[in-house]
Amino acid sequence: MIRNRIAAGVSLAALIFGTATPANAAGTTAGSNIVNNVTVDFKVGGVSQNQISASNSLVVDRKVNLTVAEVGNATTSVSPGQSAAVTTFSVTNSSNATLDFALAATNRSGGTAAHGGTDNFDVSNIKMYVDTNSNGVYDAGTDQQVTYLDQVAADAVVTVFVVADVPLGRSTGDVAGVRLTATAADGSTAGSQGAVLTQTAGANTAAMDTVFADTNANGNTANDGIGFAEDDYTVLGANVAATKTSRVVSDPINGTTNPKMIPGATVEYCIAVANGSGSATATNVVVTDPLPAQTTYDSTFGIKVNGTVTGATCNADGVAGGSFAGTTVTGTIASLLAADTRTVVFRVTIN
Amino acid sequence: MLAFLLLAVTAVPAAAEPQVSLTSHVSVVRIKAGRSGTPVRSLEEPKLVTPGDRLLFTLDYSNNSGKPADHFVVSDPVPSGVIFAGEESKGAEVSVDSGKSFGPLDTLKVVDADGKRRAARPSDVTHVRWTFARAVAAGERGELRFEAIVK
Repeated sequence: MIRNRIAAGVSLAALIFGTATPANAAGTTAGSNIVNNVTVDFKVGGVSQNQISASNSLVVDRKVNLTVAEVGNATTSVSPGQSAAVTTFSVTNSSNATLDFALAATNRSGGTAAHGGTDNFDVSNIKMYVDTNSNGVYDAGTDQQVTYLDQVAADAVVTVFVVADVPLGRSTGDVAGVRLTATAADGSTAGSQGAVLTQTAGANTAAMDTVFADTNANGNTANDGIGFAEDDYTVLGANVAATKTSRVVSDPINGTTNPKMIPGATVEYCIAVANGSGSATATNVVVTDPLPAQTTYDSTFGIKVNGTVTGATCNADGVAGGSFAGTTVTGTIASLLAADTRTVVFRVTIN
Repeated sequence: MLAFLLLAVTAVPAAAEPQVSLTSHVSVVRIKAGRSGTPVRSLEEPKLVTPGDRLLFTLDYSNNSGKPADHFVVSDPVPSGVIFAGEESKGAEVSVDSGKSFGPLDTLKVVDADGKRRAARPSDVTHVRWTFARAVAAGERGELRFEAIVK
């Protein structure tokens, strides 16, 4: 080939400025054309000739990549019987095309859950919601329930909430693992899920082809257009137990000195309710106690709630509360913290 | 005496071949591990092209005019969707300001998004061109190249 000597460098007394443009991480949009236009200007015999031009074009193919990730780095703590408990995920479309993503949320069956516990129960009534108001928090009534993500733009990240009910009868430490799976689908049509994508098999074409470039993150299969991540729910129950004790306060003969259990004596009953250590706070603990036979409720003393205990002794520090109706005493302890004990105390006289 | 009629026949030129022909061709550069582990470079037709792929642009010219063509300048704006990646044929000048001015890349500067001036990089190039110092002879052909990476 003949080597052409080209003009020497242009004088650069003045600095030439341009501005740098940022790159789109997902890349040139699939289906777009890369068009090269080249021109040549020349003279023949000293006369400028018509400019000659040539061009060619090629189509950028669709490179599919997605990531599903757990958000929050922690289990969701739940009580037995809790409804609409939330685990949070993100779905990132790192393809160079707008895509739909079909979604599925499923229970784990045993094994080690996302945050290290052993999966031993299932949640029920599982639903998925997109974070419609983009505030990172599940807002019932505002966030939209979905079965797929519609037209997620290249490089966009969508927050998805998996919401489920926890059954009763679970104990503190029980774990239910859940998995959110996203599958790449065509994103051409708004408002309905497109067909699940398939990789262009066989010979590559001059039109837009599809290539799967997703990884095996979280243990899923690489290059299949599918990604998933796991999260979990861990039960924190309240372990509440009640003990009832009584003491004779006074009798008509001995007064308060060594009183005996004889007709006319005043007896004090104490129901102590204890919450185990490491438990959730129990709230609205309602204690009901029918009077023993052959006793009469002492309305002067009334009912004292929320007192404390010292060892086996019920302290006289409760406040007036509760109610008596028919032959039943009812008292409510509003809030019982883990490792705490509170009392409902009332008195009767022996008939 | 016989008079001879001379009929002047004007020659009609044949359909004109373009004075300079120019073609633009693109290939995808694939680098694979060779038998001994050293990378082997091959060129493919651009049927499967995805972001990150390296493209080779080749511009072939030929002077068919029958006369020398001088002030010969081949210009090529970097296509949208790719980033210039150098490997341009000798003697090229580039522009980093959308074709307003040209020079060797290592002499050019750009202003960054945060207002700082810095040396221009291949990714800043907007145009590449070759200005031939001497005429292209009648019948001469040649090829110019450069590479770019799909954004």
